[in-house]
Amino acid sequence: MTGMSLRAASRRRPGLRFAALVAPGVLFIVIGLMLPLLAIVVFSFWRTQSYELYPDWSFDNYRTLFGEAAYRTFFLRSLVTAVLVTAICLVCGWPVAYFIARHGGRYRLLLVLLLAAPFFTGVILRIAALQGLLGPVGLINMGLNVVGLPPIEALMYTKLAAGLGLVYLFIPFMVTAIYLSLVNFNFELLEVAKINGARPWRAFIEITWPLNWIGTAIGMVLVFIPCLANAVTPRFLGGPEATSLGMSLSGQFGETGTWALGSAMGVFLFTVSLLAIFCLAPTIRLKRSGFTGASL
Amino acid sequence: MKTSPATLSMSAALGLLYVFLYGPIGYVIYTSFAADIVWPFPPSFTLQAYADLFSSSLYSEALVNSLMLAAGAAVISTLLAGAGAIGILRFRSRYRKAALLIFIAPLFVADLLIGISVLAFNARVLGLPGNLISAMAANAIQGTAFGFLIILAQLVRYNWDMDDAAMVFGAKPLRCFFEITLPTIWPSLFGAFLISFILAFNNLEISFYTLGAIPTLPSVAWGSLRFGLGPELFALAALVNGFVFVVFAAMYLLMRFGVVRFGYRGV
Amino acid sequence: MAGATLELESVTRRFGPVTAVDRTDLVIEQGEFFALLGPSGSGKTTLLRIIAGLERPDEGRVLIAGREVTDLPPYGRNVGMVFQNFLLFPHKTVAENIVFPLRMQKAPRAHRDEQLKWALSLLRLDGLGERYPNELSGGQQQRVALARGLIARPSLLLLDEPLANLDRELRSEMEVEIRRYQKQLGIPFIYVTHNQEEALTMSDRIAVMRNGRFEQIGAKTEIYTNPASAFVATFVGHANRITGGIAAIEGGYARIDWGGGSILAPHPAAARCGSGVSYFVKHEDMEIHGAGLNGKRQDGTNQLAGTLRDIIFKGQTANYIVALPTGEDIVVSGTPRAAVARPNDAVIVSWPIDAGACFPREDA
Repeated sequence: MTGMSLRAASRRRPGLRFAALVAPGVLFIVIGLMLPLLAIVVFSFWRTQSYELYPDWSFDNYRTLFGEAAYRTFFLRSLVTAVLVTAICLVCGWPVAYFIARHGGRYRLLLVLLLAAPFFTGVILRIAALQGLLGPVGLINMGLNVVGLPPIEALMYTKLAAGLGLVYLFIPFMVTAIYLSLVNFNFELLEVAKINGARPWRAFIEITWPLNWIGTAIGMVLVFIPCLANAVTPRFLGGPEATSLGMSLSGQFGETGTWALGSAMGVFLFTVSLLAIFCLAPTIRLKRSGFTGASL
Repeated sequence: MKTSPATLSMSAALGLLYVFLYGPIGYVIYTSFAADIVWPFPPSFTLQAYADLFSSSLYSEALVNSLMLAAGAAVISTLLAGAGAIGILRFRSRYRKAALLIFIAPLFVADLLIGISVLAFNARVLGLPGNLISAMAANAIQGTAFGFLIILAQLVRYNWDMDDAAMVFGAKPLRCFFEITLPTIWPSLFGAFLISFILAFNNLEISFYTLGAIPTLPSVAWGSLRFGLGPELFALAALVNGFVFVVFAAMYLLMRFGVVRFGYRGV
Repeated sequence: MAGATLELESVTRRFGPVTAVDRTDLVIEQGEFFALLGPSGSGKTTLLRIIAGLERPDEGRVLIAGREVTDLPPYGRNVGMVFQNFLLFPHKTVAENIVFPLRMQKAPRAHRDEQLKWALSLLRLDGLGERYPNELSGGQQQRVALARGLIARPSLLLLDEPLANLDRELRSEMEVEIRRYQKQLGIPFIYVTHNQEEALTMSDRIAVMRNGRFEQIGAKTEIYTNPASAFVATFVGHANRITGGIAAIEGGYARIDWGGGSILAPHPAAARCGSGVSYFVKHEDMEIHGAGLNGKRQDGTNQLAGTLRDIIFKGQTANYIVALPTGEDIVVSGTPRAAVARPNDAVIVSWPIDAGACFPREDA
C-alpha cells in the first residue's frame, strides 16, 4: 500500500522524478566547479606567506594585480591575443563550415569529423606537433637551413607563433559550432530570398547570418575563453615577449606559491570571461533566431 | 553545373585548413619513425623511439594513471550527463532552464581555472592532497558538459510517448527504460563516454593541478617538452593521434552505414 | 459477465488554471463502439489518457470491469491502446511489436506464438512479421498498431485519433475495417476523434465533448438528428444558422422573427416568448425550388426567397449557395442533377417546420 501511494505520488508530481535525475549532475557541478570558484574568490582577498594562505582580508592582491605594469601588460596581451584569435577563427571558420554544410553532401559528416578530431588529442601533444614544424629545429627552419636560407625569426618563440598556436588549437571549436548551427538551417530560405530579389550577399546578411548567430556566438565564446586563460601555448611557442596572464597565474600556483595573488588573477580572468558572455548575451534574441522553443 | 567562384574559394579555405591542421600531425607521425628527428630526410626508418617509449617506466606508469583517470571520469560523466539529459527532456519543471545552464556552464570555464580552483579548494578547504579521485571528478566536470550536449542532441528527437505506449501494454518503468529507451539512445551514451574518456585522457591543465605528483601522459609530455622535442614525444604524439583517429574512424563508419547515429542526423 | 466495462465517476483533471476534464461521468457497456467527439482542446484526449492511466484524475474514480483502477499505473490495467502516430517501437520487428503486451504479461511462448498468428491473419499482416516498422506503409503500420492493441484481448481498446495521419482514401477504408474488428471481437472500443464523419461512420454511441464536459451523449442518430445544444448542432453535420427572437408560441411551435421574415420551429422547452434564439437547420433538410413556387405557401414548411449565388459541385451532392435579401447566405444541399436554377436566378428555399432546432441565444 505504501509502495503504491509513493508511486502514485511520484506519478502525480513529475517534479520528483525530474529532481531525482537532474539533481546528481547539478550538485556535482555546483560542488565541483562553483564552490572551488567561490573558494578562489575568497582566497583572492587573503594573503600568502611562505607557501601558506592566511585569512588577512585585504585588497592587496588586486592592488598588486592592477598596480604593477608587468601584470597589466600580461593581461592586455592575453586580451588582445584572445580577441585576435577569435576574430581569425571566425573569419576562417565560417566559409569552411558553410562549405561543408552546404556542399559537403554525403561527405559532410566525414569532413566535419576530420576537423573536430585533432581537438581531442590534447593541448600538449598538439603544441609538440606544432613545434616540430615551427621550432628552431623544426621542419620549416631546418628546411631553410638546408637550402642555405636564414631561419624565419618571426616563427621562433614569438607572439606570432603563440597566436598561430592558439588558432591551431581552437579553430575546431569554431568550425564545429557554426557547422552544427548550419546543418539545422534550412537553405531553401535562401532561395526564397533570392526569388524575392535578394542578391547572394544580401541573402547571407539578411537570412543566413542572423539565423546562425547563436551558433556563431557560442563558437566565439568557446574560442575566446580558453585563449584568454591560456598558459601552455605562450610557454612553449612564444618567447619571453609572449608571457600571458594565464602563464603568470600558473606560476603563482607553481614555482612562487603565491596562491592568494594567483587566485586574484583567476578571479579577474573569470570575470573578464563572464563579461564577454554578458556582452554577447543581449545580441541573442531567441525570437529572431528562428528558435521555436519546441524542445524546451 | 558550373561551380561559382565563392564556392571554389570556400573549398580552397577548407583544403588550407586541413593542411594547417594535419601538416604538423602528419610530420610528427612521419618523424616518429625517422632515425634523425631533426632533419629526417632522406627517410631512414627505425622503431627506436617506440622502443624507448615502451621501455620507459615513467611513461608506462603515466599511461596506467591516464587510463584510470579517463575511465573514471568517463563513467561519472556519462551517468550524470545521461540522467540529467533524460530528466530535463522528460519531465516538466520550472527549474529546467536553470538545470540546463548549470550542465553546460563548465564549457565556459577555462581548463586552467578549473584546475587551480579545484586545487585551492581541495588543499585549503577539504585538506586533501592531490589524488586520482579528485582528478577524475574534476575532469568529469568538463566531460559531463560535453556528454550532456551529445546526449541531448539525440534525446531531443526521442519520442517519449513511446514509453507511454510501452507502459499501457504492461511494461513497468525500469523495463520500459531497458526495453524501449536504452536501445534507442545508447549510441549517444556511448558517444558521450568516448568523448569524455578521450578528453580526460589527454587533459593537461585540470589533471596537472588536481593530481599533485602523480604523472599522467600529458603531464610527462609537458615535462619532457620543456627540455625540447625528444624522439619519444614524437612517438607518443603519433600513438595518441592514431588512437583518437581509430576511435573517430570507427564512429564515422558506424554512423555512415547507419548502424548507429550517435545523436547525429545529418548523414 | 454482467455490468459495465468502464465506469467514470465525476472524473476531473486540471492543468494549472485550465480544467481539461470537468466532473465527467461515463458508463461504457460490454461490446459497444463509443466515440468521443470534440474539437481540439475539448479534453477528449486527456480523458482517454486518464482511462489508460497515463494521466491521473485530480478527483473522481475510474473502474474497469468493476475493479477500481484510479491509482493503478498504466501497466496494471489490461487496456489496449492505439496511438495517433502509431508509436511502433522502431527497433523491434512487426512480430516483436505485436507480442510486446504478451511478453509483459509473461505469457508462455506457445501462447504468444499462437496469438501472434491469430493477430497477423486477423489484420492481414501475414508475411510481414520480420519487417521493421519503417519498412511498412502507413496503412500497414496502422494495422500493426491495432494488432498490438488487440493481441492481449484487453478488456477495453482505446484509440486516440488513429486515422489522423492517413490519407483520405485509406482513412475511409480503415473506418470500415476497424468497425468490423470491433464487432467481430466484441471488445469495447473508445475512439477519440475530432472528425464527425469518423465518429458517425464507426460508432454506436457518441459523446460530444466541449471544455472538459459532455455536451451530449447518446446514440449517433440521436446526436445527429436531435442535437441537445447549439454547439452540438454546429459541430455535428452541416447546418445553417439563423438568429432571431421568439415572437409567439403557436401550438407546439415557436414563431421566430428575424431580419428576413418569420419561420416556425419546434418549440424549445427552455425558451420563453420574447427570448433570443439561434435556429439551426441542416443543409440536406432544405430544398431548393424555382421562383415559380412563390406565394404558394405549403403547409408544414418554412419558405425563404433569395437569389442563387453559386453552385458548389461535390460529386454525389451539390451545395447551392442562396443569398437572402438580408445579405446572409443559406446553403442547401441537393443532388447535382436536380439543377433547378442557374446562378443569379431567383429561387425559393423550403424545409419542413419539424426539421430545425433552436436554442437560447446565450448558449452559443
